[in-house]
Amino acid sequence: MTAPTTTPAARGVTRDVPLGRVLARTCAAEWTRLWTVRATWLFLAAAAVTMVGIGTIAGFDAASDPVPPQGDAAWPASSITSLPAQFALLALTLTAVTSDYATGGIVPSLQWTPRRGILFLARTLVPVLTATAAGVLLALASAVAAFTAARPALTLPWDEGLDVLSTVAFVFGAGTTLAAGLGFLLRNTAGGLVTVFLLMLVLPIMLGNLGYEWTTTVSEHLPGTGAAYLLVGEVPGMTGTSSVITMLCWAGGAVLLGWLRLLRDDANR
Amino acid sequence: MIEVRGVTRRYGDVLAVDDLTFDVEPGKVTGFLGPNGAGKSTTMRIMLGLDRPTSGTALVNGRPYAGLAEPLREVGALLDPFSMHPGRTGRSHLRVAARTNGIPERRVAEVIEQAGLEGAARRRIKGYSLGMRQRLGIAAALIGDPGVLLFDEPINGLDLDGVRWIRGLLRRLAGEGRTVLVSSHLMSEMEQIADRLVVIGRGRLIADATTEQILSGLGQLQVRVRSSEPDRLLAELEERGFTVRRAGDRELQVEDSTAEDVGELAHSLRIPLHHLSEVRQSLEDAYLGLTSSSVEYHGREAELVRTTTEGAR
Repeated sequence: MTAPTTTPAARGVTRDVPLGRVLARTCAAEWTRLWTVRATWLFLAAAAVTMVGIGTIAGFDAASDPVPPQGDAAWPASSITSLPAQFALLALTLTAVTSDYATGGIVPSLQWTPRRGILFLARTLVPVLTATAAGVLLALASAVAAFTAARPALTLPWDEGLDVLSTVAFVFGAGTTLAAGLGFLLRNTAGGLVTVFLLMLVLPIMLGNLGYEWTTTVSEHLPGTGAAYLLVGEVPGMTGTSSVITMLCWAGGAVLLGWLRLLRDDANR
Repeated sequence: MIEVRGVTRRYGDVLAVDDLTFDVEPGKVTGFLGPNGAGKSTTMRIMLGLDRPTSGTALVNGRPYAGLAEPLREVGALLDPFSMHPGRTGRSHLRVAARTNGIPERRVAEVIEQAGLEGAARRRIKGYSLGMRQRLGIAAALIGDPGVLLFDEPINGLDLDGVRWIRGLLRRLAGEGRTVLVSSHLMSEMEQIADRLVVIGRGRLIADATTEQILSGLGQLQVRVRSSEPDRLLAELEERGFTVRRAGDRELQVEDSTAEDVGELAHSLRIPLHHLSEVRQSLEDAYLGLTSSSVEYHGREAELVRTTTEGAR
């Protein structure tokens, strides 16, 4: 049997810990929590296969074109492959939040970090930053894969690359923040995934194509429409500013509602 | 030290905890007893800030749990052993716990050894038996070497070796001056482990007394007496206001009395006695007696029971 590490006199004495250190520790724990489950790696692998795979195929396509592009940039591969791959990263972020509700793990989580605002901040920041960073790296890898496969048909101008990658970072950042907020709000993996797919894919396409003015207006205010415009353009009625504002509003609203639910409700009832 | 003051928790029409007040003192194992649905788990969740009370306060070392910066260094708790991510290994589960509270990594290995989980720590939790999950939960509770420990049904699922281990562990923790609160349905275990018992029923406090006081009927002692003249002894006792019932051909049970009272009366009347003893109930009998009363009385029992309980303190 191991001896206790503190004396009875020292036990139960509360140390004054700065808020920043509590947040840093909670973020470190969330990081460990994230990479110690298989789902995280599976979602990252799915995003990697989608982005690098499609980038490579696009590169070979460009190279085998009877009239190969001369001097075109490989960067569109990054933004185009981000459109399908974002769903793997959205699912990664969502399940990072909801798996604790599905497994009851929220009980020890709140026992170990009872300051709910801190837990919320750490649990939102860590998966969002991880998914966004991974997404940007994979977008870069996708463009490099397209460039390599199409060589010498495509180029990699870095100034254009910075623009594309920062747009990809914004779309992944806002989208995964929305997913994290929905996770806290709904506390349910299936419900969260369905909601994310509806908001990011199904409703924007369906409402945008119904042909009624009001459905088109609704569609223009959905986060998926904003993401599609920012990544591939070609969405009538949208501008860069309206897309950014739409995505920020949805992400902010979901985070606010999720935060309120975590703060006000019982841990897992 | 845990202080529960006037805690009430209502879920819609259901009153899960009703104006509960009690203390859990350091240096003792306090048993937390009550039938299913009595509100034990809800009370423990409120103590840990997991559920919010409708009214009242629960303080750990004088502060609400939700305000603690390093809770694992002050309070260790095992609630539901199934409340863990099954895809994570036991070791990773403990590493997450350690990181949240700035606890050194070496404590992970120490509590794994302490809980006897060396062989299973690198396996995913989904492959753990209930007993192994209990041990992992206990390891997590001990990781910060806290002064206050809460265990909800810690013996569930443990084999005999595990039961003996937890029995010794709880006694040792209390012996080190820690505050230990344990809920259990296993009366024989609580009889061996607990120094003090808090009994609740339908969310209300039924008894808060030492185990000894509860076993002796909260001050209402019973005496068993066997005599060759039971009828005469019964008549004489009743004449002096004792409540007596027959417990056999020649045996009587005298309520709210002592062996001295009955023995001296029999001696003064020259009634021969063949046996005289104060009845020590099993905790199970005492518990059933206490909790069945709570069901019987419904809204009326609180005052009666609280008066009895306070008299026993």
